[in-house]
Amino acid sequence: MAYLELHRLRKTFGDAVAVEDFSLSVAQGEFIAFLGPSGCGKTTTLRMIAGLEQPDAGTILLNGRDITHLPPNKRNVGMVFQSYALFPNMTVAQNIGYGLRVAGKPRAEIEQRVRAMLQLIQMEGFAQRYPHQLSGGQQQRVALARALAVQPQVLLLDEPLSALDAKIRVELRQEIRRIQRETGITAIYVTHDQEEALALSDRVVVMNRGRIEQIGTPPEIYNEPATEFVARFIGHINVLPVEVADAAAGLVRLGAQSLRVEGAPLNGRAVKLGIRPELIKLGALDHHNVLQGRVVSVTYLGAVVRVHVEVEGHSVAVDMFNEHTLNLPRPGEACALSFSPRACRLL
Amino acid sequence: MARRLWTLMWGALALIYFFVPLYGTFDFSLRMQRGMLSLRAYELVLSDPRFWEGLRYSALMALVTILISALLFVPTVYWMHLRLPQARPVLEIATLLPFVVPAVVLVFGLIRTFSRPPLQLTNTPFTTDILIAAGYAVLSMPYMFRAVDVGMRAIDVRTLTEAAQMLGASRWQLLRDVIFPNVRVAVLSGALITFALVMGELVLASFLVRPALGPYMQLMGLTKAYEPAALAILSFALTWLSLGALQLLGRRTLITQMTTR
Repeated sequence: MAYLELHRLRKTFGDAVAVEDFSLSVAQGEFIAFLGPSGCGKTTTLRMIAGLEQPDAGTILLNGRDITHLPPNKRNVGMVFQSYALFPNMTVAQNIGYGLRVAGKPRAEIEQRVRAMLQLIQMEGFAQRYPHQLSGGQQQRVALARALAVQPQVLLLDEPLSALDAKIRVELRQEIRRIQRETGITAIYVTHDQEEALALSDRVVVMNRGRIEQIGTPPEIYNEPATEFVARFIGHINVLPVEVADAAAGLVRLGAQSLRVEGAPLNGRAVKLGIRPELIKLGALDHHNVLQGRVVSVTYLGAVVRVHVEVEGHSVAVDMFNEHTLNLPRPGEACALSFSPRACRLL
Repeated sequence: MARRLWTLMWGALALIYFFVPLYGTFDFSLRMQRGMLSLRAYELVLSDPRFWEGLRYSALMALVTILISALLFVPTVYWMHLRLPQARPVLEIATLLPFVVPAVVLVFGLIRTFSRPPLQLTNTPFTTDILIAAGYAVLSMPYMFRAVDVGMRAIDVRTLTEAAQMLGASRWQLLRDVIFPNVRVAVLSGALITFALVMGELVLASFLVRPALGPYMQLMGLTKAYEPAALAILSFALTWLSLGALQLLGRRTLITQMTTR
């Protein structure tokens, strides 16, 4: 039985539908990421779990208990906010201990728990500091400790790293994962950063326009996108409109050039083909699909070099590892592109 | 250089404008005894039991008014920020009414409404005090509302509320532990203006016949020469003392928040 069960949640704001038919089962100790563009309904869904928004329809069950209509302070759900939301009038220790204090816990227990939390976030020397005396990353760690101190059944994280710079973000996301693993807490993490979602979570829920597009592990989401939206939103993908030439043989046509496709039945006359740039090689290889084109541009992106090639009027991106031995084509040159039939995904 | 001279000149003019009348009043208050400067007028005022009674009464009413205003406006403005931002224009206009409706109209309204059943409040001193405190709270609305509003704008009320709720705090606990401490300085500034307003208020206390400082000062002004000047200086000093106390409290609050304990 699922630990957290969201069943057919729906939420509207006036005429605008924020979340529609959202169902999800989360196992105990699982780390789930809600991923999607701004306004896709991920934060609204998180806030419904928190009790900060009431769903128009649907139910939320936590460990078998219906919490759909419980107020936030009765749900035993912790939350970390994007803007940290530390209480400016309280020290770090007071912030962490606040949830225990309002719960009426004895002073000794609060102190012991605060010490344990400070140790968990590796900030033992900061107990008496005020929030404004901490960096953004430190404040978010304190916010995390404060949410965990009350031992919630589920931890909700609403874009907790968005306000931090890139380097701190990477460090802190590893820290969050470590703490989640150590405490074994069930966590739901809202982000619009696909790298964050893929790096952190056990499963990713990709959302668009209030609906779930796909639920899957990070490799499933990346390698087997269920929809064109997921394919385009996660990483970079070339989407080519092709015509079905021979459905039984898996043959499609891009302009005057033929391609073989594996893995999915071909239905209809026109389909869209998705190919990740890193799965395409420059040059003609045996037993591969080969397309002929002309180099348009070559762009250095650090670890990879992206080459744009025009094929039958379409721009195709090719990613190559930036090695010393890399022999790069020049814009205007004719070139061949090779990729395995298994690299093609029908969208 | 020329700009600095202009600044100095305007500064000096401002000082003269503010301090010359004050100095004149102070100087006059010292000339009660012919041919010498003395504090006789102050002695007379300070030895008058009606002064102390008025001071005590007005100070008490000021504190009660501050309490009522704070209890009324902190939750109201909090709720406006949290749930009813669209109510802001209505509240802003409503709280400006004391500037539009003169105090004398207010007091006649109060007397007409509360001097007859079913809610007769003017027949005992205690119930009249309730009425007068309520009237003072109305007069202090423009100041207290704006002071608390500015304080609430400086903090992220919604997120702090949600954070406290997620930690299990009830509405009362989050108001007491999170919201109020963070708008304390703003409430204090509203409280100071309210204090100064009530200490000098004349109309309500006169028409409701209560022993406040305002009517006493007016009476002295009608019947004496030097004592009103001494009273004006004392009242001015009182206001500045309140301001100083506010600065001290505000700074202490700030220091408490800014430094590691």
